[in-house]
Amino acid sequence: MRSRHSFARVVVAGASPLFALATLLGLTACATKPPASDPDAVADYEQTNDPLEPTNRFFYKVDNTLDTYALKPVAQGYVYITPLPVRTGVHNLLTNLSSPVLFANDVGEAKPRRAGDTFMRFLINSTVGVVGIFDVAKGLGYPGHDADGNVTLALWGVPSGPFLYLPVLGPSSPRGVAGYGADVAVDPFTWVPRGYGLETLNWSRYGLGVIDTRAELLPDLDKVKNSALDPYATFRSLYRQHLQSEIDAARSDDRSTTPDWYGH
Amino acid sequence: MTTLLTRRRMGALAAAAVFVAFGVGWIGAPAWAGATGSGAAGSGDATAFFKQFADRLVAIVNGPGDTATKRQALQPVIDGDVDVAAIARFCLARFWNTATPAQQQTYVGLFHQVLLNNISGHLGEYQGVSYTMNGEHAEGGSDVVATVINRPNNPPANVSWVISTASGSPKIIDVVAEGTSMRLQERADYTSYLERHGNSIDQLIAAMQRQLNGS
Repeated sequence: MRSRHSFARVVVAGASPLFALATLLGLTACATKPPASDPDAVADYEQTNDPLEPTNRFFYKVDNTLDTYALKPVAQGYVYITPLPVRTGVHNLLTNLSSPVLFANDVGEAKPRRAGDTFMRFLINSTVGVVGIFDVAKGLGYPGHDADGNVTLALWGVPSGPFLYLPVLGPSSPRGVAGYGADVAVDPFTWVPRGYGLETLNWSRYGLGVIDTRAELLPDLDKVKNSALDPYATFRSLYRQHLQSEIDAARSDDRSTTPDWYGH
Repeated sequence: MTTLLTRRRMGALAAAAVFVAFGVGWIGAPAWAGATGSGAAGSGDATAFFKQFADRLVAIVNGPGDTATKRQALQPVIDGDVDVAAIARFCLARFWNTATPAQQQTYVGLFHQVLLNNISGHLGEYQGVSYTMNGEHAEGGSDVVATVINRPNNPPANVSWVISTASGSPKIIDVVAEGTSMRLQERADYTSYLERHGNSIDQLIAAMQRQLNGS
């Protein structure tokens, strides 16, 4: 979509000074590998697979500050002024708009049944569900699922590469970045022509998406931050574990071709 | 870190959400939604064990009393049905062997308190939760009981309970929420903290103590 397209440029433009700053501060240093005389420590280092840890931690701090002073207060305000049914509608609408990317990934993952579900969800929710505000399809036996370029590439056998904590974009990896780029490329909204108010729509969609997601995580993120001695390492572990579970779920998903009510 | 990411790219954070929502948990809290049959591969013992564990937790959560009272009631359940010492040891990973017996003892004691605080601190927040059991299976020498947790206004979460008999009787050794393991996450936290603080067990103990004092 245009917004994401434009957003990618904004991210790059915004990130450049941050990278420059990190370099100036000597933060682009690599993590120090433990000496070979300590095999347990070496094994830990390799398992962690975070050779850019000092740089990653720098961007974690930057993002954390941005969150504390900008995004979190906005999300709190959103929750305060918006009743839950409205937030649910917004959430459903945003999910529906991402259906084309989801569908492309289902196909890329060679999961025709998942793709079929995504197609039916888009069809039903866009019409009966009033442009996606109501998730009618779920009740009809087409539950939602997640898929993205990172998971698709993983199923193709592409290795993840080292852990990356990106400015603004958060936890990722080289494969994650490639997957994100692929998602942007296959999103029809990336290619809408300028004008017709579509750019505004796309930016609104993006902004709402960010707030919606953050609002959903309001209570839980704080709990992780408060209960962890090293929140960065905790999020790194959670990110990897969760991604792996998504990959496993996609790989082993052999759902039925017909919805529950059909009585297969 | 909240990041300007859309939902699909919020893997870690979504995981965090689910994890904390339930994983901190051992939360257990909830009302029982009834079993939907035991699994194919398991013996059924783990399911029976888990059900009595969950029933006792439910009784505490839905019972009367404030947080302190519930914490007190919770302690024997945790002590009896959760292998706290084994989890604590797992979370210290390679550093367990470098700790002195005295440090090990202090650490396990603190770990126990942190765990209890985490659970009792959240007991009141999850009223109206229900479980459905989806059977059990064997995995890596342990039995895994799969459950689905439903919370009001939240999507259902898949949570698995890992039960080991290594201590001589069945005990819970891990909770895996939406694919994220509580003990793996805790181990990542502690070992990273240690590596950044001169591998000093004393510093970890001090940090845990501070955490307890602040809660």
